[in-house]
Amino acid sequence: MGAGRGRRNVVKAKKSASSMRSFYILLAAVAVVGIGAIIWQTQRPEGGTRWVENVEPGEAEGYLMGDPNAPVTIYEFADFECPACATWATVQKHDVVQRLVATGQANLRFFDFPLPMHQNTTQAHNAAACAADQDKFWEMHDAIFVGQPEWAGNSRPKRFFEGYARNIGLDVSAWESCYENGTHLPRILANKAEGDRRGVNSTPTFVIGRRLRPGVLPFDVIKAMVDSAAAEVTSSSAAATPSQ
Amino acid sequence: MKTRMGIALLAMGGLILALYLTLYKMGMIGELTCTVGSCETVQLSKWATFLGLPVALWGVGAYLAVLGLALVGLQPAWLESRGISWLLVGLNTWNVAFSAWLTYLELFVIDAICMWCVISAVLMVIILGLSLMDLRAVRGLPLAPDHR
Repeated sequence: MGAGRGRRNVVKAKKSASSMRSFYILLAAVAVVGIGAIIWQTQRPEGGTRWVENVEPGEAEGYLMGDPNAPVTIYEFADFECPACATWATVQKHDVVQRLVATGQANLRFFDFPLPMHQNTTQAHNAAACAADQDKFWEMHDAIFVGQPEWAGNSRPKRFFEGYARNIGLDVSAWESCYENGTHLPRILANKAEGDRRGVNSTPTFVIGRRLRPGVLPFDVIKAMVDSAAAEVTSSSAAATPSQ
Repeated sequence: MKTRMGIALLAMGGLILALYLTLYKMGMIGELTCTVGSCETVQLSKWATFLGLPVALWGVGAYLAVLGLALVGLQPAWLESRGISWLLVGLNTWNVAFSAWLTYLELFVIDAICMWCVISAVLMVIILGLSLMDLRAVRGLPLAPDHR
């Protein structure tokens, strides 16, 4: 009888060890799948690179930063209420401006691409467009993106934009008159239509040369795209020059 | 033992979820996948920060603590420990209360629901239920001399 109980105990212990092993395998599998999904989410190019025709913008001009005659233009289609756009504007843009725009390798053209799911984004684009009247688009652009957590989703966003207008030194009454009248809404819609025409469907999306790529692109990726576009410009102008 | 395994597995799932939201809040994930509700509105509201840290990061800490306790409680020496069971019940009661407060904020203050926050709240409730079952099971066992 004692021997029987001992055997039962051994069987029980074996079962327990086997069930623990299965449990740890399952736990590790959950961890690996979950962490893998997160890594994929952080790395995925959000749609990947697509090729588009190298068309010049129509009536939509966007907002320019840098030398208008720079060999390459970085077109950015963004939504002021999109968190990913805010990340790019506050983290990655600085390097792009310092190392590509300030050095004349490229200029940057911001195009409004307000997404319909964001309740305050059109007002934000309107606020920035009105600041452009006083040559302070980029200052307002930065203030709106930095302040995104406070005005996004707020039922009265104007008071925040008005505060930014004051802080960056705008003539607030002129800005307010423009804001209230929606003076630049056609321009915003034209910029958005330009994005639609180029096949933009998420923000931020960058168009450089013949490449269109959505996502929070790091400096290195932007630089590679600019270099590639510059090489295409050089080779096409070399081909156009008659040999002697 | 099975209830603690269940707690550990659910806590691991919750940990991954909270980590995802934390990375988004830190700007390391561009877009939040959110098929139901308005995750961005909730994550961008002032209520997404608690005591200077993202709420999601508190979630990472809470799930880590639950996972750690459950794993310790699965070791042979602690398998019948009432202390572990009480700690699990206490911690998870706090977690459920915190989740209930966050859900209240979403529904009545922010006016937006975050799918991931709701999933996390449901996970917390299930984990509390399992913790109560574990406590009940352990209380039914005779007291071991070293784990009273």
